[in-house]
Amino acid sequence: MANVKLMPKLGMTMTAGKVVRWLKKEGEKVEAGEPLLEIETDKVTMEEEAGYTGTLLKILVREGEEGPINQPIAIIGEEGEDIEEILKTLKVSEGAEEEKKEEKIEVKIEEKPEEVKREEISKPRATPAARKIAREHGIVLSEVIGSGAHGRVHRKDVEEYIRKRTEIVPSQVTVEQKVEKKEEIPSYRVIPFTGMRKIIAEKMQKSINTAPHFYVTMEVKMREILKLRETLNSKLKEDEAKISLNSLLMKAAGIAIKDYPIFNSYVEEGQIILRNEINIGLAVALDEGLVVPVIREVDKKGLKEIAREEKELIQKAREGRLMPDEYTGGSFTISNLGMFDVVRFTAIINPPEVAILAVGKIREIPVVEEGQIEIEPIMEMTLSSDHRVIDGALAAKFLKRIKEILEDPLQFVL
Amino acid sequence: MAEKLYIEALAEAIKEEFERDPNVFMMGEDIGIYGGAFGVTKGMYPKYKDKLIETPISEASIVGAGVGAALVGMRPIVEIMFSDFMMDAMEWIVNQAAKLRYMTGGQLKVPLVIRSPMGSGTGAAAQHSQSLPAMFAHIPGLKVVMPATPYDVKGLFKAAVRDDNPVIFFEHKLLYWTKGEVPEGDYIVPIGKADVKREGKDITIIAGSITVIRSLEAAEKLKGEGIDVEVIDIRSLSPLDTETIVNSVIKTGKVLIVEDDNKSYGWGAEVLSRIVESDAFDYLDYPIQRLGGKDVPIPYNPKLEGAAVPQVEDIIETVKAIFGKE
Repeated sequence: MANVKLMPKLGMTMTAGKVVRWLKKEGEKVEAGEPLLEIETDKVTMEEEAGYTGTLLKILVREGEEGPINQPIAIIGEEGEDIEEILKTLKVSEGAEEEKKEEKIEVKIEEKPEEVKREEISKPRATPAARKIAREHGIVLSEVIGSGAHGRVHRKDVEEYIRKRTEIVPSQVTVEQKVEKKEEIPSYRVIPFTGMRKIIAEKMQKSINTAPHFYVTMEVKMREILKLRETLNSKLKEDEAKISLNSLLMKAAGIAIKDYPIFNSYVEEGQIILRNEINIGLAVALDEGLVVPVIREVDKKGLKEIAREEKELIQKAREGRLMPDEYTGGSFTISNLGMFDVVRFTAIINPPEVAILAVGKIREIPVVEEGQIEIEPIMEMTLSSDHRVIDGALAAKFLKRIKEILEDPLQFVL
Repeated sequence: MAEKLYIEALAEAIKEEFERDPNVFMMGEDIGIYGGAFGVTKGMYPKYKDKLIETPISEASIVGAGVGAALVGMRPIVEIMFSDFMMDAMEWIVNQAAKLRYMTGGQLKVPLVIRSPMGSGTGAAAQHSQSLPAMFAHIPGLKVVMPATPYDVKGLFKAAVRDDNPVIFFEHKLLYWTKGEVPEGDYIVPIGKADVKREGKDITIIAGSITVIRSLEAAEKLKGEGIDVEVIDIRSLSPLDTETIVNSVIKTGKVLIVEDDNKSYGWGAEVLSRIVESDAFDYLDYPIQRLGGKDVPIPYNPKLEGAAVPQVEDIIETVKAIFGKE
């Protein structure tokens, strides 16, 4: 009897997955533990194992197509097996399998039946006014980011899209020219707003639209912490992960958050919700965007453990192998552009968090103290805070606390 | 221009019509010496003794007599003490007044005005507090008006008296003691013409009768939030001035309809439908919102009574929500 392979649910919020690539062709043999296909969710691309041993008889969701979770994507069985019956009764057997295997997930889906259904339709929500303008300008609505409730596209969103498009492509070919020179390569290239890019765009847009940002900057004298890092690293074994500056920053932020727990909150439905765990995210740049892996309970972990986890998560992030649990649930994010020679910058808060720390490079500069000029390694850091939750003085105190810890690293031990 | 009370402007219109046309007269309960339950005809009695006919307490007979008088060439005004009591006269209003001109191919005319106070806010409980204009607007052959200001009440009343069709004329009780500018002498506000009571560019509020006043107050407060509200007073429910509404919606793209009637199957649903069916559809930039009376009999308890129909605060909150300012 042939088996039906279902679209797996790879994260709490996943409702559908896109088949990036089938690693086996129809008719090829597969082993249960062998990778069968690559699936792209909202943030990661993952290999999915076949789960059954046999022959891949039929692919039901082709490459580039999306399939809802717990719905059939392939049939695996014995070579030459007749699958007509299965294809016909797919709905029935699939229901049975679901019940047996994914009972828990079933329940979760039922909690929000409407939302799931709407996302499955994947038709853009837009007002008639937005549709009219989009129609007149030949714009595909699904490419416009909606600022309204549930991503509803309003007139101003389309207008904004048109304005930006015009900025990017200042010398667009006229309609007549386009018709004549259809065969020619156009003077521009369209990058569809999909996958990670779309997620980042929506999240950042939402953050800056809903959270009133303000920024405070401080200089930190880094001599002591650099010395400490050198000492600590000299005591590590060959195969142990070196303690990075980011590990130290995460630890320092974790300690500071313990003193100022409001930075460990998020806004939801008009309430400020305080988290118990202190989980610090670290922005990691990728070719196709960025991702923020999270190190959990930083305040309870030693520097060695943080360094090891950091190394592992960055590796996974670069390979697109992060599991959903590894990039969600963060309390506070650190973004470090020091390695790109950036002295200082401001970051957009990673929603639903209420603050983010933007870190620049360490540089030696003359510092005047008590009438004496000293050369000091200085690092500038800028805290972006959500003013709905955090006020200026509080942001300053919190940032000062991080500075104190970094300048007097004995506090790591306290 | 002199400032006058709504009730004064209405009384002025009645007296001027009495003077203008010998066929105009009025019937109703206690409208003579007593001056009417709300005092609209107060002080008219000695002078207009022959024009004010006191009737028994029987709405069916009053309206029936009014229809008969209209058919033989008079121009009667009938006062129904509370518009709730019109239910007793529905046969005469719906099956006779509204139909006879059609059924006789225009050989008969029914120049009848039925004027009546409506609405809640006076602690008069469920049988004396309804706003039911939508019920009458559903019947072809009737014209339905509900002026919101002293200026409009005078001009519309004159238009109603001079119309050859039956006109149901609703006066919200809480409007009687509101003030506004009213010109001296004769002028007409045409039936079937809405009025932009306040110009704005961000959102159109469509209101009628008491909700016009509440919407204007809300609009003033919303100015502080940076929201520029346009308020349309529909004035006539039937015929409805779709053009003024559509033009405004094309301009603003956002709509809130505020009605004092019960929301379900209310006139706001008709207004909404006309917008969606019109050219304005392509300019809508937010789901059309409606505020109306709760679908309950009006409670006697004053707090509950206030909560049963849209108040200024409800209008402000709804508009703010539309602009994401909760």
